[in-house]
Amino acid sequence: MFPLAQTLLSGMTTVGMTLPDGLTPNLDLLLPEFIVLGTAFGAILPELLLPAGRRAVATAWTSLIGLLCAFVLVVAMGPSDQLAIQVLDGQGGIISGLRMDAFSVFCRALVTGGGALLVLISMGFTRRMDRGHGEFYSILLFSLLGVMLVSGVSDLLSLFVCLELVTIMAYVLAAFRRNDLRSTEAGMKYLVVGAVSTAILLLGIGLIYGWTGSLSLEAIGGDVWDTVTAGGEIPAIFLLGMAFLLSGLLFKVGGVPFHVWIPDVYEGAPSPVTAFLITASKAAGVILLLRVAQAVFVRPLGLEETLHSPLAQQWVLVLGVIAVVTLLFGVLAALPQRGIKRMIAYSSIGHAGYMLMGIAAIAAEGGRASHGAQYGGEALLYYIMAYFVTSIVAFAVIIVVGGASARMPGGGDGAKAYEGLWARSPFLAVAMCLALLSLAGVPPMSGFFAKFLIIRATVDKGLFALAFIGAGAVIVSLYFYLLWIKAMYFKAPPEGAPQGADFHIPMSTRVVLWGGMIAMVLMGVWMPPFYDWAHDAAASLTALAGR
Amino acid sequence: MNPLLLVILIPAAATLALFFIDANAKKAIRAVSTVATGLVLLISIFMFVGFGDASYADGDVRADTFTANAGQPDEHVYKYGFEQEWIQDMGLSFRLGVDGMGLAMVLLTALIIFAGVMVSYTVEKRVKEYYICLLALVTGVFGVFISLDLFFYYFFYELAVIPMYLLIGIWGSTTKTVDQNYATMKLVLLLSAGAVMALVGLIAVWSDAGTFNMVLLEQHDFGKSFQMIWFPVVFLGFAALVPMWPLHSWSPAGHAAAPAAVSMLHAGVLMKLGAFGILRIACTYFPLAAVEYLPILAILCCFNIVYGGLVAIAQRDMKLIIGYSSSSHMGYVLLGVASMTLIGLNGAVFLMFAHGIMTALTFALIGWFYDQTHTRMLDDLGGMMKVMPFAGTCFVIASMASAGLPGFANFASELMVIIGAWESNLWLFIPAILAIWGLVITGVYLLRAVKDAWFGEMDERWKDLKDQRTFGERAPFVLLVGVLLLFGFWPQSMIDVVEQGVKPLHARIEAGKTQDDRAVELIRPTEDRDDGLEADKTGEER
Repeated sequence: MFPLAQTLLSGMTTVGMTLPDGLTPNLDLLLPEFIVLGTAFGAILPELLLPAGRRAVATAWTSLIGLLCAFVLVVAMGPSDQLAIQVLDGQGGIISGLRMDAFSVFCRALVTGGGALLVLISMGFTRRMDRGHGEFYSILLFSLLGVMLVSGVSDLLSLFVCLELVTIMAYVLAAFRRNDLRSTEAGMKYLVVGAVSTAILLLGIGLIYGWTGSLSLEAIGGDVWDTVTAGGEIPAIFLLGMAFLLSGLLFKVGGVPFHVWIPDVYEGAPSPVTAFLITASKAAGVILLLRVAQAVFVRPLGLEETLHSPLAQQWVLVLGVIAVVTLLFGVLAALPQRGIKRMIAYSSIGHAGYMLMGIAAIAAEGGRASHGAQYGGEALLYYIMAYFVTSIVAFAVIIVVGGASARMPGGGDGAKAYEGLWARSPFLAVAMCLALLSLAGVPPMSGFFAKFLIIRATVDKGLFALAFIGAGAVIVSLYFYLLWIKAMYFKAPPEGAPQGADFHIPMSTRVVLWGGMIAMVLMGVWMPPFYDWAHDAAASLTALAGR
Repeated sequence: MNPLLLVILIPAAATLALFFIDANAKKAIRAVSTVATGLVLLISIFMFVGFGDASYADGDVRADTFTANAGQPDEHVYKYGFEQEWIQDMGLSFRLGVDGMGLAMVLLTALIIFAGVMVSYTVEKRVKEYYICLLALVTGVFGVFISLDLFFYYFFYELAVIPMYLLIGIWGSTTKTVDQNYATMKLVLLLSAGAVMALVGLIAVWSDAGTFNMVLLEQHDFGKSFQMIWFPVVFLGFAALVPMWPLHSWSPAGHAAAPAAVSMLHAGVLMKLGAFGILRIACTYFPLAAVEYLPILAILCCFNIVYGGLVAIAQRDMKLIIGYSSSSHMGYVLLGVASMTLIGLNGAVFLMFAHGIMTALTFALIGWFYDQTHTRMLDDLGGMMKVMPFAGTCFVIASMASAGLPGFANFASELMVIIGAWESNLWLFIPAILAIWGLVITGVYLLRAVKDAWFGEMDERWKDLKDQRTFGERAPFVLLVGVLLLFGFWPQSMIDVVEQGVKPLHARIEAGKTQDDRAVELIRPTEDRDDGLEADKTGEER
């Protein structure tokens, strides 16, 4: 099926390299990743071979086709019981490997599909750049590759490596407009804070390894379980390690108190990069949180039944408090923002709060679902999916409006740039309006059903405080989202603002906007197919964890 | 095709269709909206007329009815049923059906939106978006009244709130008394706050019963402690929309800032969503808690009636007068609910209908002259009867109806509410007396409004005001007045339908009174029913 990988391996053997004992590569399963990897290298080629005028289009289309191929392959190949790059210890236990379960397929499909949309909305932006097209798409693809690999992580070592692939590429992307002071500042801030959090993450991994002697998430979960059932104490060193590990992941997601980098980075980074950070990069953190929470807190008994680890009971409170604080900080800090990217940055902290509520619901015991953590898991996956599409639509508009009204007072992201948009470009106004309503969680948009599922998961586990606060935060967020709708629809167009044809909406953006609007409404009204995907993905997570 | 499905699909399809019509083709846009709402009105009338025949013989359960508690005293039949499975794993179904209570509300909504669309012909600004919002709003409203699945119930409930923001914000009016931006934001935030509070309660209902199916939920026994905790949550969530005092402050401001058709829908229908939710969800699922908590409601609704009325007296802005009057009259609806008697509950639902029609008529008339005068202050107006006799007559009729003049639907329903409150074995005769005084207060502010605006000296500015002259202009007003008179002289036709939906609810509450713990053994409340009908007849003769 995948001759390249076999050729590679046989080539390695012929030059005398041997595979370590216990390593089963199963590279076939990683075919989509290899395609993205190949595309990432290939995206540089047009930069070398083509005349300057045609580079932008060529690199963009190369990336787009590569991602779409990967997407089709991910969906077509489906889940597999085998692990890619599986490493076994002497007794047949798994040390390391990448899972290819339904959860992984769901996340990789989301990343490749969403990545294709990101490339589409970036086209209009990169066309305005004089150089660096190849680098931009290449780095973006490497980062997306990192998120794809993150989806299958089953041990702490690959967790670290895959996450760093995402993060390091994101540093570069954030500072991509190196002549722009704010972009450079964004990259610098991201790098400094990110490096510290990486150090914390590593320290956490080290402490956990120090007690369990294992890097595999299943083995760690098993150790906790065995210790507690045998009547033993879980040492503080492990709890500290868990705290550090979660802190490192919370940094990626943007949970309070690890959120400080978000507003400046999201505002300063070029808009397509912010779109990437807010979707794929955030998703990487959430995916890992889900994997870790599921493995450490929930113990599968049979295929459907689960038992909660005693550790989970302690952590529900911590996770719940972090979720609430994150949520409240995000929505309250978004209230006074006057720039749209900054508003979306703060509100993304609020959305992280909702996602963390899903994690807290996983850790909590009880509930109707016989198969344990599922409501939290499926809610979280639906939320990421809805948030992905909605954010990309919002940023498609932000890129166009920001580009056209850069000379307006307050800049291309200021409230002035959006005043009276309904008269200047009804299409952009409708798209933005629907995206904002979806972010606010209003039916019939996708965000509504996502929030509904999250609140259902918390109520199901008896976390009523979370449910009420989560529901109340909807009202606060509704206020600041409606302020932008008010600017777009209630106000008259300001003098000298770009009109109709002044907005260059490339065909690629148009496709994303139409597709995104339809998807947002579909995911809020005809949810069954989307729900079933999220449901199956979450179910596979429960069934496999701890095997 | 299932009539209820049409009721929801026609406005939804019209909303979508309007997106693709050229914004300058105002005639086409108005035509599409009128035809769509007209069709819905026709369907509603047919359903209403055929409602009795749509019943089923005992033991022969038809496919298009859903029956809860079959064979029990609180047997509850939903007719014109429709079901489409939605998400199997979640137990979510798109399930439609109406009982008499729901059907009365559907008819009310259909009447008001049809009149509202016709009244809105005067809107010239951004016509396309206006009708899109209006039809989206009404899709949500219809959805609430006919959904039999908790998820979709909430879905439509929340769907009805957001278009209000745009409708008031764009087409509303800022006057000395009200700022439209402030009013619309306050309205949306408070309504959504109530909605999400109810949402948590609804999900809690699901987590106890394990289903979203409202027919099955009706058969589920919620434990008493569960009911005591969650009744206030769900109740307050819906009560914000009624609006119950002290959660009412969004409502008069919202009325005053809104354009005519939106005020009509807002006061006529949206406020009824709250009362409907209280009856359909809170009281039906939690009868044991309802028995304990409703006496508190009886106190609060007195504030609605008296306080709302007194504040209305102090207003000089016509729309604010009617706005406060609406929250005052919703107090009667709440009193009917709090009475927990069959005649009181019947009266409450009937009053929801009658008040909706009456208040819609009033707002339509205020909108008619405000378009020309650009003021609604009583001090500026005066003597308009001379130039617009038709509008003036309609306004006087509406005021008389509101003040409870016999011959109008409002009289019959308010009388039922008061008798119901008097009859209930609580000390509810005190609110009943206050409620009768409330009618006197209503008379004070409405008669004064009539005197100051329509009679007396006419200002020179108003001599060129235009009355409704053509058939098209008069039709919506004639329609609403006609409905008020029809059900005023023949209230039984409405009560027969309403009672079909109210009786099971009453049976559950009765059982809640006598049973401390479980609402299993139900007692058929024959006495109350007979008394109620007799009292109603005497009321008519008086």
